[in-house]
Amino acid sequence: MGKALGSEPLGKVLYSGHRPRRRREWRGLKDTWYDYTRWLYYLFTLGKFMMKPNNFKGFFRYRWMSNYLAVPDFMDRHTEGLRGTALRLAHEGIGLIVLDMTLSLTDMFKADPEIGNDTELSKKMVIFDENMMSTLMGGFPNLKWVSYEVPAIYSSSFMCQNGVMHYIDKTHEFGVPTDVCPMPAAELGAALEDDFPLIGACAVQCNTTCDGSLMGGGLMAQSMGIPTFQLAAPIRHRQESVQEYAGEEVLNAIKFIEEHTGEKFDWDYLFKNMARFNEETKEFLEWLEINKSPYPQLLGATLGFYRYGVYMAAGGRSQLFLDTDKKITALATKAYQNKEMACKEYRHRAILWGVQAAYYTAFPNWLMNCWGILPINDMLCCVSTEMVSTTDKHQALLDLGHLYENMIMRNRSNGGYETGVEDLFRLCEQMNVDMVIMYVHIGCKAMSGYHGLFEEEARRRGLHWIWVNHNLMVPLDGTRRDMRTEVNRYMRTIMKEEPVDPSLEEFDDSLCW
Amino acid sequence: MKDLKHLYYFEKLLQDTYNDLARQAQGEGKYAIGHVCFQIPEPLLNLPGCFSVRLRAPQTGSIEMGTYYMSSTLCEACRAYLERAIEGGFNFLDCIIAPDACAQMNRCVENIEKLHTSPKENFFVTYSDVPMKSDESALRHYVKQMRIHVLEPLHEKLGIDISDAALRKAVEEQNEISALLTAIGDYRKCDNPVITGYEFAVLCLSSYCSPKHLIKEKLQETLEELKTRVPDEKNPYRIRVVMVGSEIDDPEFIKLAEECGALVVADRYCFGSLPGRQVIELNEEEDALTQICRTYIEWGKCPRFFNQEKILERREYVDMLAKEYHADGLIYEQIKFCDYWGYERAAAFHIMDEEYGWPTLSVDRPYAVRSSGQLRTRIQAFVERVELKKINANKAKQ
Repeated sequence: MGKALGSEPLGKVLYSGHRPRRRREWRGLKDTWYDYTRWLYYLFTLGKFMMKPNNFKGFFRYRWMSNYLAVPDFMDRHTEGLRGTALRLAHEGIGLIVLDMTLSLTDMFKADPEIGNDTELSKKMVIFDENMMSTLMGGFPNLKWVSYEVPAIYSSSFMCQNGVMHYIDKTHEFGVPTDVCPMPAAELGAALEDDFPLIGACAVQCNTTCDGSLMGGGLMAQSMGIPTFQLAAPIRHRQESVQEYAGEEVLNAIKFIEEHTGEKFDWDYLFKNMARFNEETKEFLEWLEINKSPYPQLLGATLGFYRYGVYMAAGGRSQLFLDTDKKITALATKAYQNKEMACKEYRHRAILWGVQAAYYTAFPNWLMNCWGILPINDMLCCVSTEMVSTTDKHQALLDLGHLYENMIMRNRSNGGYETGVEDLFRLCEQMNVDMVIMYVHIGCKAMSGYHGLFEEEARRRGLHWIWVNHNLMVPLDGTRRDMRTEVNRYMRTIMKEEPVDPSLEEFDDSLCW
Repeated sequence: MKDLKHLYYFEKLLQDTYNDLARQAQGEGKYAIGHVCFQIPEPLLNLPGCFSVRLRAPQTGSIEMGTYYMSSTLCEACRAYLERAIEGGFNFLDCIIAPDACAQMNRCVENIEKLHTSPKENFFVTYSDVPMKSDESALRHYVKQMRIHVLEPLHEKLGIDISDAALRKAVEEQNEISALLTAIGDYRKCDNPVITGYEFAVLCLSSYCSPKHLIKEKLQETLEELKTRVPDEKNPYRIRVVMVGSEIDDPEFIKLAEECGALVVADRYCFGSLPGRQVIELNEEEDALTQICRTYIEWGKCPRFFNQEKILERREYVDMLAKEYHADGLIYEQIKFCDYWGYERAAAFHIMDEEYGWPTLSVDRPYAVRSSGQLRTRIQAFVERVELKKINANKAKQ
């Protein structure tokens, strides 16, 4: 037990079969102290958040808010087994997301007619879809971008594995089949339950992610009670012939927002934000370069969560994110130079493809700690790394169109074989991996349609391919333990390996957050 | 009623994707163009020198290979098409022109392509991005996509004439068939129709799966026959319904509903005639391609159109059909695993009933339905519910 990586049998120390009330891991004095101070910081942040009367009321108004009681546990899960720089990178990246979330919730509750009822603030808010990038709001300095589906559904499910089951049940009761993706189903359920704040001057929806998401959005629009614009980003987004339309749709969205808020789009402000966005992209490219090396630093959930926050939510509009980016790059570069490791043994380098289970975002940490499988990159991070023009308006529109075509998840679930299959194998070569952890999200028809083609191509290339079934936000359909079992079986029977930490091979976390 | 003279002939055409008429047209030197979705306007695929065949998998049995390649949670129709392609059932096609409309059908076509199922050396597949809204930006995009991903490949790879005149000729040919089918379909509005929903579905489906010029004569004769066809003295059906939903490429489902006592008087489903078998009006001022695309955008009733105007329009359209065809209720059906119709029918089940006042049955179904006792039971129960409602309403009037 101590400072060294893998010095604790984590399965025995952290998992008792009950919901954890105490979850401290001994990481040696320095790291434990650091981790403890961060834990205090999260507690302080949450305490400060709850001290505000609007937030306090919001906590009791919305069922999904109870999931945020698990924030400290969420952080513990995503730093499990980490030491040194890897631990700091996780706290820097994911910690900022937590802070950003509290700020966003504070605004939402302030504007909420049932809570703060700040109508002036509400009139300055533009509601965006959950999986829709905030980027174009970078041209409206006086407006606030809000995506209430993110705290209500998306991150709720990260915090607590059963966190949105109630809403999914509501949607199924409404009559939507149980085979659709649980994410839009949960969002529709929350809308049916009247569990979203009725705020905003107008809303912009997008044909994000998948057919189910699009349909859920269409139904939800009727419950929002504000004008909504549907931004149709082209599906076949690798084709040159669609790019003009993509840009035109962004322009249509801008005009819509102008019309319904009375605000004028400020190109200079956009260019300033896009310059920051480009800087963030450059930082991300640095991280990928480091990850190509034998000493990758930003791994698994740290990379995934943070990239989501920067790319989708921040969208170049916050200096805090760029500052954190630079801090992360500095830490990661130093750790790379010092040949620091993130887990005890590096046995395999893997790309995580498909859609991750929202209820088990700490799965990559388990892969590292239990089997020494390094999650070098995952599909959700493989988004556009193109620069956005900061001088030419027309080109900027095309670039924004390109970004909206390449939103997280959507850019892989849409676009055809070249984006879903070919790119994966190209990335495998680039990132020098020998294994693919292929998430099979049961409700995701887009990726499932390549099942056979994936297998055949992996066989041809001699890549290890592990299918991991889950149902995104419905842990009953493929529990965390089931997911681990699929890896365990492959590692035992095909790879004939012994786990790095045998205590993690089999444990019960069904009652955990 | 006495059987329609050509019903067996049309039914036989539906027994095989590569039917006698497709063989005949290929024998005449025409190219066979496979298509999978309403969103590629049919006239573009029926230019002089080629004919369109909508992919189907009649008499589907096992779909194990399709399931292996596409997994068990995807639309059975898509899996069945892939299975049929692997079996060689689409070997006669010279190309497939596909839109990226629903992800599942797109995956199906991609699998057909990537698995190299076609033995033809010059076989090709194109994918186009089709609009999800119905505004002017979308129309411009649609026209561009149809030009680049449909017309130009047909011209470059098969030498097809894609001139404005050729497009107008193709529209004219389709209009003839559409006018015939509309005239035939209008008989369903009668109190005691001289054509059943099943019979109409067979005729309509044949028009999607056969070279149009080769079925014209038989359709004309059928229309003539209907003018004098004597209906059964006592209407054997207990209620009249509009069938709404995802694709029905097997009229057996319509037959099943009618065997339960629900006469299908209007077909608002993919592969149906409403919309799709109306006349396309062209003027001389604007180019034909733009006009065709505009018509198809206006016709489009697929739930993938997600702007609010279109969502409302779909419901209004069904309501209008139900009134025009004197329906007693609606059946919203969906092939299992179809995301679009999964949501659409769930919403319609509430909205069409509560806001429009139509008794609505909402069902999902497998691809091959003939032996589904479960479906039969659900439709029977619906028929009884609607019939009871009618009886009670009549009593109340008296």
